[in-house]
Amino acid sequence: MAAMNSELGGYAGRPPNAQPNPFESAMYGAGPGLIRTGLGAYGEKFLGSSSEFMQSNITQYLSDPQYYFQVNSQYVRNKLKVILFPFFHRGHWTRITEPVGGRLSYKPPIQDINAPDLYIPLMAFGTYIVIAGYALGVLGKFTPEALTLQFSRGLVGWFLQVVLIKGLLYSLGSGEAPLLDIVAYAGYGFAGTSLAMLARIFWSYLYYFIMPWFCLCTGVFLVKTMKRVLLGGPRSYERHPSRNHYFLLFLAVVQFPMLFWLGNISA
Amino acid sequence: MEWDFPVPPVVFDVSIPNYRQQHHPIPETGPLQPPAPVFPDDDERPLLEELDIDLGLVWRKTISILHPLRSADPALHAENADLSGPFLFVLAFGVFQLLAGKLHFGVALGWVTVASVFLYFVFSKFSAGRRGDVNLYRCLSLVGYGMLPMVIFSAVSLFLPRGGKLIFGVAMGFVLWSTRVCTRLLASGAADEHRGLIAYACCLVYMIFSLLVVF
Repeated sequence: MAAMNSELGGYAGRPPNAQPNPFESAMYGAGPGLIRTGLGAYGEKFLGSSSEFMQSNITQYLSDPQYYFQVNSQYVRNKLKVILFPFFHRGHWTRITEPVGGRLSYKPPIQDINAPDLYIPLMAFGTYIVIAGYALGVLGKFTPEALTLQFSRGLVGWFLQVVLIKGLLYSLGSGEAPLLDIVAYAGYGFAGTSLAMLARIFWSYLYYFIMPWFCLCTGVFLVKTMKRVLLGGPRSYERHPSRNHYFLLFLAVVQFPMLFWLGNISA
Repeated sequence: MEWDFPVPPVVFDVSIPNYRQQHHPIPETGPLQPPAPVFPDDDERPLLEELDIDLGLVWRKTISILHPLRSADPALHAENADLSGPFLFVLAFGVFQLLAGKLHFGVALGWVTVASVFLYFVFSKFSAGRRGDVNLYRCLSLVGYGMLPMVIFSAVSLFLPRGGKLIFGVAMGFVLWSTRVCTRLLASGAADEHRGLIAYACCLVYMIFSLLVVF
């Protein structure tokens, strides 16, 4: 920032007998070179893969985000099958652990179908926005402002899901699951919602069959995943079995109003 | 009338190179006189060069994208990322939208920026192992150049009937073209297993722009 200020200041007040060098450089003044270096530097600093900002500030609160993007297309395809049709998933739901440096850590998504990732939730959210835009357009109500409103609604929905899952985990005792894990689990619900909205564009009555199916599937997926997360927690799962079951049932049931609200765009 | 304080005459330091003073000294006039006109000479850098707008480069990049079957040349875009091409494309997009009765200049500029931030974020997470040379500036440039099929689509859509199935089909065709261009330019350094993932992200971005055109 100081560099930018000094360059802009130099442009504003031009001394008649300064050194020749500042007048020669292409970055003198607010020119396109400034944009290039500014974007490159700040982009790398805040969003880049090896940025110190991410590594220093965020790792206190979040786990390493790089872990969640180690995916490939095969993983994405299989994980989508698990999310959308969890009944047909033959196989266990536990995450595979491996000893790394003396501690047990989970294998990355590329090697473990049950590991959460952040690529699918992000893309599912984007798909949700795009399909919401098309649905608004088919109804004749598309404006860029309406789309931005839908974007904010989607973010609120995602946040509510995160709060719900986090609250559930806290009340059942294993509240130290990594935050990005929970963000990932919460975002998986957008995949089913997007598909249901896509079906709605083509035939509106199909929506009322497909949407409950996907709500059910998301609920089942979340319940099965949370059971594994709880089992992996330090406190024993069997201490209050009935309370656990009621909470998990609540989690599955509340998916219905949540996803219906997200998929409803006529408001 | 006597001045109370001396007004020093304006003096330009001739030791600074490339200064106008060397060839055409600014004629000094006395105080209270309007400055005499000085005409620009050949020593000044042309305006486009000072602004870093290289129209020849923009034209070459445009031609390399336009051919729908032959692949765009990633190397040409890699070393010479610039923003003037994308800016011209977004302006052209806005003009065609204006012809259709929609004022979308600011919206398109904002969405291009947000979309390129999104793509940069996704791409940087994928190519973290190998230090890819995509920074935010280059990503913005690539997304902007990928807008060219969208610009053509917005021009074409002026002649298509609104709201029909035809315009949806044409929209999907142009979105696929844009996605192909952007993926080829963006993922030239990434592994093949990630190409489909990056292509989907690009597809989402250009579908949003097609929304602006179709509706």
